[in-house]
This record gives sequence, C-alpha cells and structure tokens, in this order.
Amino acid sequence: MSLPAGLTQAADVTADLTVECGAVIVGSGAGGATMAAELAAAGIDVVVIEEGGYHPTEAFTASSMRALRTLYRDGGGGMAIGKPSVLFAEGRCVGGSTVVNGGMSWQTPPRVLAHWGETDGIKAIGETDMAPYFAAVESRLSVGLQDPETIGRDSELLKAGADANDWLIVPNRRNQLHCAGSNNCNNGCPTGAKQSMLVTSVPRALSGGARLFAGCRVDRITGSGVTGRFGHSGLGHSGSGHGGPRLTVRAPVVIVAGGSVQTPALLARSGIRSSSGQLGRNLSMHPNANVIAYFDEDVTGWHGVHQAFQVREFTGDGIVLTANNLAPPMLAAMMPAHGRELGELMADYNHVVTAGPLIEDTSTGRIRNVPGFGPQVFYQLNDQDAARVVRGVELTAQAMFAAGARRVLLPFDGAPALHSLGEVRSLLARPVPKRSIRLYSIHLMGTARMSEDPRRGVVDSFGQFHGRPGLFVADASIFPGPTGLNPMETVIALATRNARHLIDHRAGHAI
Amino acid sequence: MLVLQQVVERFALVVCPPRVREGQRLDGVLREFRLMTGALRPSARRVLLTAFVAIDQGARLYPRARGRRLVRLGDDAADAYLTALLARAGLAERLKGIVVMCYYELPEVKQEIGYDPDPYIAAVSRRRLQSYGAEIAAAAAASAASAAAQSAAVDP
Repeated sequence: MSLPAGLTQAADVTADLTVECGAVIVGSGAGGATMAAELAAAGIDVVVIEEGGYHPTEAFTASSMRALRTLYRDGGGGMAIGKPSVLFAEGRCVGGSTVVNGGMSWQTPPRVLAHWGETDGIKAIGETDMAPYFAAVESRLSVGLQDPETIGRDSELLKAGADANDWLIVPNRRNQLHCAGSNNCNNGCPTGAKQSMLVTSVPRALSGGARLFAGCRVDRITGSGVTGRFGHSGLGHSGSGHGGPRLTVRAPVVIVAGGSVQTPALLARSGIRSSSGQLGRNLSMHPNANVIAYFDEDVTGWHGVHQAFQVREFTGDGIVLTANNLAPPMLAAMMPAHGRELGELMADYNHVVTAGPLIEDTSTGRIRNVPGFGPQVFYQLNDQDAARVVRGVELTAQAMFAAGARRVLLPFDGAPALHSLGEVRSLLARPVPKRSIRLYSIHLMGTARMSEDPRRGVVDSFGQFHGRPGLFVADASIFPGPTGLNPMETVIALATRNARHLIDHRAGHAI
Repeated sequence: MLVLQQVVERFALVVCPPRVREGQRLDGVLREFRLMTGALRPSARRVLLTAFVAIDQGARLYPRARGRRLVRLGDDAADAYLTALLARAGLAERLKGIVVMCYYELPEVKQEIGYDPDPYIAAVSRRRLQSYGAEIAAAAAASAASAAAQSAAVDP
C-alpha cells in the first residue's frame, strides 16, 4: 500500500518530533479536513493531527467488528449517562465520522439558521449567506440522489408505509459518486463512492502541502501550539497515546475539530475556560430509536443503499423517520432476547426492516472530564423528548404495518412482540418509563456553542474562541442547537465559511 | 484474565443461541471479545471487566445460586440468574449486547442466517463500474488535475 505524500503514521515515528507550521488542526473529520483543505489551498502551512489510524478504501470489509475496532472510538460503544442511557458512536480514523456515517447530506434548515442568527447574533449565517457554501460543498462532494437500482427493499417498504399513510417522504441526498448500494457505509465504503473526507478533503489538503500525522493523540493545547503522543493505530488497541514518541507542534493558529465530546474535553484539560460557562454544556444528541419489523417476504435489507428515504411529515414536531439496515452483530445487540429466543429472532434476519425516529431534541447534556476515565457524557432525556420518541416509535410501527409487517419489536425494555397497530396503540396508551427506552445517537452537537455574545457562547460567529485569538473550533460542537437533520453538511459548510474568513484575516494571525 | 475468560464464557453460553456450543464457536466468541476489549481505551476496558466481575460475584446473592459465583453454576441456575438480570435491563443488557455481537460476527453464523455480503458487494461494485465507469473515471481525473494544479500553485 503506497501512502499519500504528507502522511506520517504512528508506526513510522520512532523518536520525539517537533514541527512548526501556520495552523495546526486537531482532527481530520468533516470540520478538520475541510479547514485543512481550504487553508492549504490558500498556501498556509497546515499540520493535521488525527488520533485514529489511516485506513484506505481498499482496507474496508464487511466485518462490523473489525470496523468497530479500527474506525470507531471505543469500539463504537460510547454511552451517555442518564435515564435512559444513550449509546453513541464516534468515528476515530483519518476522515473521522464521515468514513463511517451513512452519507446523508442535508443543508441546515433555513428556520434553524434564522434561529441561530436571531438568538445568538451570529453574523452571516442566514440562508442567503450560507447558500454559496452549501453549493460549494455539494459540488465538491458530489451530493445528489441515489441511482434507482441501488435502492433496497427495506427502503421501499418504508416508502410504501409512508405512501399508504399519505405522509411526506423524500429521497435522501447523499455525498456519493454513483454509490453502488453495497450497504457497508458503517464499515467504511468499500468502493470509494461515498465522498467522505478520506477520499476528498484529506487528499486535497495533502495535495496542497498539508502534513498529516495519524495515530497521535493530542493531550494539550499550549500557549504556542499543541502537544500529543503517538500510539499504535493499526488493528487492536489504538491511539491511546500512552508511551509513544511525543509530537510538539508550534503554530500561531490552533483549530480544534475533535467532535462534540473530545473538543470540549481537550480544551478543558488544557486549562482553557469560557467566560460563558458553556464549554462542555449544551450537548444535543438527536436521539434515535429502532423498531424491528418482521415481514413475510424476503426483505434482504443488506441489499441496497444504507438509507434511501426520510419521512418528513413530522419535522414540525421534531421527528424524522428513516429505515437503516443493521448488520447481524448490531441487530443482535439490539434484540430484546437472549439464548434460544435470540436465535429464533435472528433466524429471520432477512425478513427484517429496522426503522425508527430521529428526534430533534430539546434536552441538553454535558461533557465532563472524570479523573481516571477521561471525557464522560451526561445526558438526561426530558419529558418532551421522551414523548417525541414514543410518538416516533408509534408512527414507525404504523408505517411498518401499513407496508405489510406481521409483527414489530419496540425499543422499550420489557415490551412484547406486537402484531397490529391496535396492539401498539394499546401498549403505548400507558406511560412508557423513560428509563426503559433504548436510545442511540450518532449526532453529537453543541458543546462549544457559537454566539457573538461571549456571555452566551464559547466561540464567535466564525468559530474563534472568545478571548483567545488564534484558537478556533471547527466541528459540530459549535452548533448553538440541534439541526433536526443529519449535521454533516452543516459542519462542512461552516468549516468552509470559517476557513475563508480566517484566510481573509490571516495577516492578523501571522500566517 | 483467566477468571474473566471463564466469566465471559459462562455468560456467552447463556446469552448466545444454543448453537454457540457447536464446533469452535465459543472459542470464536471469546476471540472476538478479546479483540474488542483490546480496542478499548484502558479506562473503558476496566469498566467493562469490572462489570463482568460484578455479574460473576453478584450470583452469590441469587437464591438459586446458593452462594456460588456465576462460573460455578450449572446451566439451569446460570440461565435463571442471567435471565433475571437481563429482565432488569441496565448493565447486564449492555454486556449481553457485546457478547452476542461477537457471536453474530462469526462467519458460520452469518451464513446460517443468510447474510453473505462479500459476493453481493463484489457484484454491485462491478455493476457500478459497468454503468458509470466513464463518469467515475472522469471525476477522478478532474480531481487529480485539480489537486496537481493546487500542488503546483503552492510549490514555491
């Protein structure tokens, strides 16, 4: 395997390193890679540090467990503490979560942008301000609709259920160049069709002269840059940063793009405080829940694109419905059964559709560095959002029965298999204890929120930390609140915008 | 670590489908589990291992266990104990999730339930290239040209 020029992996480093540059970027996901590509294209000397390893397209397989070990933080098993707890997953590899997400590319809803502008005085964030950035992102990442032959039966059944109920359902826009529909998004796209940062902005940044250090965990932001330590970023335990050579990067500009958990944790452990008191707070998660629906027909949900449609009938109520096939290990982990019963449920794997609601949450959580354990996520679902989840589950079951499902399993502990919408409604007529709801999330946002007012926000309108010239944040943690839709394109568009703003003001930062 | 392996093995025999006892499947589950725990940061690994130890020792409080640890229980008592724990969801449910993930990662188990993605991925990858190869190649060439131009522009 030939490595891209400019990439240094942990295994290649045998002694402590010190490098100098104009801008050092922590993280190579949607925000970090975009900033790197933009700044490098402007001739700025950029260093990117990624905690995870470099895994090219050819390395991706259909093995879920291998992907969890190599491409995700903590094997994809993050858990937000609360009642209920929320399982969450974050990518940790070159390209970040864009390597393992479903590739849904949606512009920030105009109402959300308007709200951010109004409540936090954020400059140049209106629909017309952002339009050129969305256009640039969509052109660069080949955002568009799926080719029809790649749409699988599970997606067709969701659409059939929505159509039968006369609900608004829209085809997904995804960052893909003729996606093959291999249904392997969460393990890394094996064809390179998904236009993740791994195959777009990272190579663009490297072509522009950026240097990328993979398998290095940044432990501290210093007054003159950052320090980190190389780990072992191959298979198995990776990137812990214990015991490897040290990396010291001196740069006048530091851009933190580690995601909504790691970014506030790194800032906090570096002794950086926000006068707003918001650093690490204001966490949104877009909680998801899954209904497992069984059909008589052979669905073979792993044939076809990861997610082809979204039911948008209920966005006004903060609910989006989707269908996503889960590989056997993931589905088994979610099944409310064990032993023989689990085996019986899984024997019908090819007759299953997994679908459910994504909730635009009003609950907020926080990130705290817990000594001995590192960053921990705390999130308490409020009553309003719990009600949204329950309603979203009921609507999903309604769609599935309308499409021909014979029985459904609901994401509530102790709920029996149900065989009709009437049974679902009868069950849900009784209160569902919050602690019994099984939730997961892949959209973490808001822990270093933007606001022009330093009393309300951690960073300003263009991602610069209030009161810390030269320190920027460039990931979903700068969102003032949830987007209600998949957040990747918002992260990339904001990173593009903020990079260009930084380039326009580069003289002030001596880069 | 031997104790942990015993606990996970006992746990797997209850939470996985009965066919986990066939052939080398149990070894496969334990192998996947070791690989998974090896990928965790040390603090997360400690939490996971502590949880298994707690479940092992917690059996002593279960009436039918008569003061014995999980690894010392017979099949029926172990099943009853873990079923009671799993009914309360929480920690045991999370651990069950991890162990059954390891089981359903085994190639023979995937085959049994009709999941065989490699030939499918190969077929749709070929279809993609047959249908859109020219456009994909053109996009790749345009991207390479753009990168080369960018590289030349920044080369002093």
